[in-house]
Amino acid sequence: MKDLSALIQENGAVQDRSIYWNEDIYELEQERIFARAWLFLTHESQIPLAGDFVTTRMGEDEVIVTRHTDGSLHAFINSCPHRGNQVSYAEMGNTRSFTCAYHGWSFGTDGNLITVPLEHETYYDNIDKTRFGMQRVAQIDSYRGLIFATFDASAPPLMDFLGDMAWYMDSFMSVPGGTELLGPPMKSILDCNWKVPVENFIGDGYHVGWAHAAALDAINSLQGLGGAEANPLMSMQGNAGYSPDGTGIQVSTRGGHGMGIIWDTAAALHVNPAYGDWLKYRTETIREQQGEWAAKLYNGHWNASIFPNCSFLYGTNTFKHWQPAGPRSIEVFTWTLVEKEMPEELKQYLAMMNMMTFGTSGMLETDDGENMEGCTGSNRGWKTRQGKIYSGMGQVNEGPHKELPGIVSEGIVAETSHRGFYRAWADMMSGKSWDEMSRSSSRRSIKEVA
Amino acid sequence: MSAVAAKINAVNSEPPIEREQLAPEVMVEIERHLIREARMLDEERIRYWYENFLTEDIAYTMPIGVSRYRREKGKPLPGTNPGAGAYMDNYELLGMRIARLETGLVWMEDPQNAIRRFLTNFDAEYAEDGSGEVIAYCNFMVYRNRRQRDENITYGHKVDRLRKVDGKWRCCQRTIHMDQRVILDKNVTFFL
Repeated sequence: MKDLSALIQENGAVQDRSIYWNEDIYELEQERIFARAWLFLTHESQIPLAGDFVTTRMGEDEVIVTRHTDGSLHAFINSCPHRGNQVSYAEMGNTRSFTCAYHGWSFGTDGNLITVPLEHETYYDNIDKTRFGMQRVAQIDSYRGLIFATFDASAPPLMDFLGDMAWYMDSFMSVPGGTELLGPPMKSILDCNWKVPVENFIGDGYHVGWAHAAALDAINSLQGLGGAEANPLMSMQGNAGYSPDGTGIQVSTRGGHGMGIIWDTAAALHVNPAYGDWLKYRTETIREQQGEWAAKLYNGHWNASIFPNCSFLYGTNTFKHWQPAGPRSIEVFTWTLVEKEMPEELKQYLAMMNMMTFGTSGMLETDDGENMEGCTGSNRGWKTRQGKIYSGMGQVNEGPHKELPGIVSEGIVAETSHRGFYRAWADMMSGKSWDEMSRSSSRRSIKEVA
Repeated sequence: MSAVAAKINAVNSEPPIEREQLAPEVMVEIERHLIREARMLDEERIRYWYENFLTEDIAYTMPIGVSRYRREKGKPLPGTNPGAGAYMDNYELLGMRIARLETGLVWMEDPQNAIRRFLTNFDAEYAEDGSGEVIAYCNFMVYRNRRQRDENITYGHKVDRLRKVDGKWRCCQRTIHMDQRVILDKNVTFFL
């Protein structure tokens, strides 16, 4: 194993390439990050009724997420405590119980062992069924409908883990009626390290104009987005130009979360005016309830990641869960994020546009997928991965903001939130306790917001 | 048959819908049409395909299937799952995808990818509504080879609705069913 403390240097701006390739580092990530951090599972709207369930993964651990008969949320490892067989092969549904296909042990939607076939005849009624429930997560909670869980009983509460990220997200997550994820999720494989898409979504405004030059051009020519003057995205097309003044901000919040926001462009990639009209209609309520900053955030286009492996684009409304599957592969789940109170037609339109742009065959997703695989695959070379890569952009232009929490960089092209993510990664990988981490720079609040 | 046996029945006991069959020469016409269409796409004549093989009211979709237990077949999915697809395109959106390819700025298409479409198991019959439109079925296999060593084969079947416009068949509805719940290649950015 390489010296862990040397993997991330220069305050998060330099990464050792081995972290995208090496098995031993990946295994340590499973232990120190995925077995400890709060991880995204699903949205409450996906399992609204008693007996509803979905399957997903926490790190590489297969889990079942359920709504129990009393309405409570549960998550447990999808493996029978008897001989270890996978229990549910269905990815979603509604059920009263889960029955293992091997010997027929049956579990309730809270994970408790209910039935052991031939219990009397084979165990002579001498089995303590309370010992053999499905293995539960240590903590489960939801933030405005988004369900998270952790395997670590000592992890801080979810709201502390999300910290200032939740303050920012409240602008669109706390709308009247709340939000929901539309599915079923698209599922696809990308042969890249899980951190590559996370850093792409958390802060890479730099690639937009170049990697997506063709898509921006096509969308603009067919839909008339108004050209460079009207739309900062278009000014970047083909790296034609870029002005940081007032276009937006990039933010790294404590715990390694982060985002880039382009002001007034939530509807930038949409031709259907219904979405822009909806935002206008909502903005007054947001302003009244949450203030001017929330109204501004609500109308911006966001690229964002929640540490460690969940990302979204607000405005384009794609919601992503990047599930690690070895150091060089991930399984991607993609949903569409919408407001519950939107008209059905608008929801359907947003789902269509999400798939058109960021589904597995989306015009922009395919640009990204290719780069993500290339960023990982090149490290196959032994000599190549002795080297380092760099995310130092924007260090001279960032710091505390007079009103907003986190480290804020002016302009949308910077790597401020890349650095925050890698500082948090290094912190967790060092094996520090949550208490120790709470005092380190990656988890310290830059500005406390009530 | 007991209720339990019916629930877990792995045999489809529904008879197929009886529709009017095509005369052999029409069947050949349909088959030739679909094969030619595949060749146009293999040869990257995508604009030509767009203008000559589709109708402007086309619904071009690749729905996302869900892996669930047979006992729940036919029931709506739990939660907010109205349905989604890797493609949910109309004529305009397909046109936008093609316009993107025409910019010359799509880095993943350069160098050129080899994409080969194999169509088999053709079947076709007239739609029930008396419109003269044809429902055509076929299985497909798509071989994609790119970046020297990147190789993938994708299987599935498609169901088309074909309409004769000015003496030529055009597709007005295409539903592509991938035989994969999880898309195992990095994407499915090719037309079928």
